[in-house]
Amino acid sequence: MGEGAEFDVGPSANRGDLVSTEGWAERVPLARRRPRRRRGRDFDRPVFLRVFFIVFMFFTFAPIVIVALFSFNSTPSLQNFTGFSTQWYDEFFSNVGLRESLVASIEIALVTMVVATVLGTTLAFGLVRARSRLAQSSNVLMLIPLVTPEIVAGTSALLLFAQIGIDLSLLTIMIAHITFSISFVTVIVRARLSALNREVEEAALDLGATRMQTLRLIVLPALWPAIIASALLIFALSFDDFVISFFTTGESPTPLPVQIYSSIRFGVTPTINAIGTSMLVISFLILAVAVALPRLLGRREEENVLIGRETA
Amino acid sequence: MTANQTTAANQTSTETATPETTRGDGAGDEAIRFEDVTKRFGPTVAVEDLNLRVRRGEFFSLLGPSGCGKTTTLRMVAGFEQPSAGSVYLDGEHVEDVPPYRRNVNTVFQSYALFEHLDVEGNVAFGLKRRKVPDDEIRSRVAEAIELVQLTGREHSKPRQLSGGQMQRVALARALVNRPSVLLLDEPLGSLDLKLRKQMQVELKEIQREVGITFLYVTHDQEEALAMSDRIAVMDEGVVQQIGPPEEIYETPRKTFVAGFIGVSNLLPATVEGDGVRLSTGQLSRAALPEGSQQGASVHCSVRPEKIFLDDLIEDGMVSVEGTIVERIYLGTTTQVIIELAPGVRVISLEQNTDRSRADDRWEIGQRVRLGWHPEHALVLR
Amino acid sequence: MSENRFAHLLLAPAGLWLALLFAVPLGIVVAVSLGTTDPIYQAVYGWHPENYADVFDPLFTPVLLRSVGFALATVVLCLLIGYPIAYYIARFGGRWKTLLIALVVLPFLVNYLVRTYAWVAILSDEGLVNGIVTDAGLSENGVRFLNTPWAVIGGLVYGYLAFMILPLYAALDRMDPALIEAGKDLYGSRWQTFWHVTWPAAFQGVAAGCVLVFLPAVGDFISAQLLGGADTYMVGNLIQQQFLEAANWPFGAALTIVMMAFLLIWLSIYLRSAARASREATA
Repeated sequence: MGEGAEFDVGPSANRGDLVSTEGWAERVPLARRRPRRRRGRDFDRPVFLRVFFIVFMFFTFAPIVIVALFSFNSTPSLQNFTGFSTQWYDEFFSNVGLRESLVASIEIALVTMVVATVLGTTLAFGLVRARSRLAQSSNVLMLIPLVTPEIVAGTSALLLFAQIGIDLSLLTIMIAHITFSISFVTVIVRARLSALNREVEEAALDLGATRMQTLRLIVLPALWPAIIASALLIFALSFDDFVISFFTTGESPTPLPVQIYSSIRFGVTPTINAIGTSMLVISFLILAVAVALPRLLGRREEENVLIGRETA
Repeated sequence: MTANQTTAANQTSTETATPETTRGDGAGDEAIRFEDVTKRFGPTVAVEDLNLRVRRGEFFSLLGPSGCGKTTTLRMVAGFEQPSAGSVYLDGEHVEDVPPYRRNVNTVFQSYALFEHLDVEGNVAFGLKRRKVPDDEIRSRVAEAIELVQLTGREHSKPRQLSGGQMQRVALARALVNRPSVLLLDEPLGSLDLKLRKQMQVELKEIQREVGITFLYVTHDQEEALAMSDRIAVMDEGVVQQIGPPEEIYETPRKTFVAGFIGVSNLLPATVEGDGVRLSTGQLSRAALPEGSQQGASVHCSVRPEKIFLDDLIEDGMVSVEGTIVERIYLGTTTQVIIELAPGVRVISLEQNTDRSRADDRWEIGQRVRLGWHPEHALVLR
Repeated sequence: MSENRFAHLLLAPAGLWLALLFAVPLGIVVAVSLGTTDPIYQAVYGWHPENYADVFDPLFTPVLLRSVGFALATVVLCLLIGYPIAYYIARFGGRWKTLLIALVVLPFLVNYLVRTYAWVAILSDEGLVNGIVTDAGLSENGVRFLNTPWAVIGGLVYGYLAFMILPLYAALDRMDPALIEAGKDLYGSRWQTFWHVTWPAAFQGVAAGCVLVFLPAVGDFISAQLLGGADTYMVGNLIQQQFLEAANWPFGAALTIVMMAFLLIWLSIYLRSAARASREATA
């Protein structure tokens, strides 16, 4: 037990690995790890960090847990939890306006999901394969919505509809949602598409499949995981969206987040707890589906992965 | 034309007639013809002024290092690339505007490119289904093709369950089942281990003879090309260096590149003198001079290692020189001896290890030795 | 048909959609920003660049400055909070790394509005915290938490923290912990090690995180609306007001364009330096 020049090898580095810091390289000695006494506290023992982490988790989960908890409160109080009751949920689901909002949100999310996924996927394919100035500009055009602040998205959509003369309604919300969802789908699908082996598509063409047939029979089956993942993402984004919906919504029904916002403006009521918790549950459900789906389709997914080069 | 080729041509004229093979007029016995074809990718010229004719039923190889244009040439036959200039003919017909799915050629890809979501049967049947061939015919032809590549019993396996060699065979069956007029193979054996590769080479050659289809084969492995082909086109940097049967390419290379690329070659610097050459080491040697050689011009004298004999094997009439052994490499069937004739001038000699004593008894590093070759075996290359 | 033509065909529908329903509206925003309103508050086109001058009117300058200020404060706080978390998981997470980072990000999957509402509920005068405070006798009538700048900043931090943690984690995770050990021995002091070993590796993540938090934070109006009041208005609130309440679309549009331009400048600075950094790394 002494101090020396041996390195205390960290858990993830392997003995004998080459370690380099700012240009100089030193082979980590193969000396066994020895317990040693260091003067002062070892600064990498993460006591502080661990505490910080726990406190952090507490503060980030607490608000959500509290909302969920108080959504079952038997009194309207936000300070004392007096008893268990589902009255706020009853109020939520028996309120016609709120029910319509929920349905509207789901409708919008579904339509947005389908249309944006289709458009985004075809766009991804086009961007990967097309060679021209036009294609390059389209690529830039596709990327801009991703960095556009939501408020700009909302206001520009509003102005468009005003200009054309369309009344605001669920349709206008859908259009606006789709416009800003396409880019997400394209980015995700394109990543997967670029990784596919082009020779497999060429093989299909070589064997007599037209480009359309190749797309349908060979490429799409391989892209399914990416397409489904982005579809789920779009559903979640659309369902949760507030800002864009806020600017493009009509009188009624309005999507659920807009309803929540209006309600909060006029003071916090316990029903909002129920609405909020319900939305939370739906978000987590979507996440659960997204995680479980690849596992369920696990066998099929393997088969959809197109073959690459033979190794050993 | 050598005897090999005549037989091949005769063999195929009765066998390649199939319901789907289209023949153009004036096709003659040409399956593929390239006329002054150039292919550019932006500023790079991949293929330059290519003129090539592949005869029906031939096993024709495109051989060359990476980037020489052989794969680009193949892809122009398949339809994945269009020539920047010149014309490509398949069975006598212009095909520049014909997309790959309407050409009567099929390709075996380097990465096999099997359809992972279909089983072996599904893969092999794919092309036939696209052509709307009736189901019972599909079934029989697919079975036939699978038997041809010796994969009977594995019809329902998925590609991920197959070994490299098996996937290779599926790719082959998938292409052959369509009875194309030309089969294109793009370095199909590159990913296999040595033993399997040698085995597949033999099998491919047998299948080609049995089926009689024209094979256009791309490889960078000169041994492979020599072993399998009826004719080889050696390419370098987009230009064809030499076309001919394997023996011709090997024994009488007409360019330094070909001599260096095919097999091992000793290239001795020399100058033209009289009706022979004077080697840089001083010796004068009779040699066949190419047309238009000028006295005093710098040339290379090329001799194959197996044509160089050492010591007691030197015969009368050979050109002989002296040198020092610098290295001796034992390869099991043969021994390579590297001799330095002069600083910077080294020669490799190859001899078979027959029933004589072991090589390390015979030659010692540092030993002075005489070596010689028949002047007929010395090629003068510019 | 050739591959190129086929690809262009597929490109067309979405490309057209984006051009007509995204690019054109942005153009309309620019056009409207130069317009004016007629007596019945309808926007009419024209050439009124004074709208832009109005943006920089001293009346609104506090709002603009406050937006940038709040956003910067948010970035700093997100960095101070997010960095230790990302570092902890990256360095000490071990096998549980992925699970931990997923757990950390989980709350942020909840709707931003719902999350902000949660804080409203908790911090309001009748909320949980005040309940505890009065019960504990710390104060008579409770503490005013809402309607203060720090409530808004807190809401912004809670809203965008994940955008800081994830890139930081990605950058730190890539770092080899053995380097830190080597640095410790080489440099001796904690600070030196941090500066010479950890910081260069983390920097990319920090830059990305800062951009990902700053850009949306500037234009945010939800936190300011729900957790703050008229005194904490940000430019987003102003824009929202112009469009939906004051019906002064041209001015709202001008505000929007100015904000967009401001953000684009920072974005391009970031992209350029990121490109340069990756070029240098590969050189």
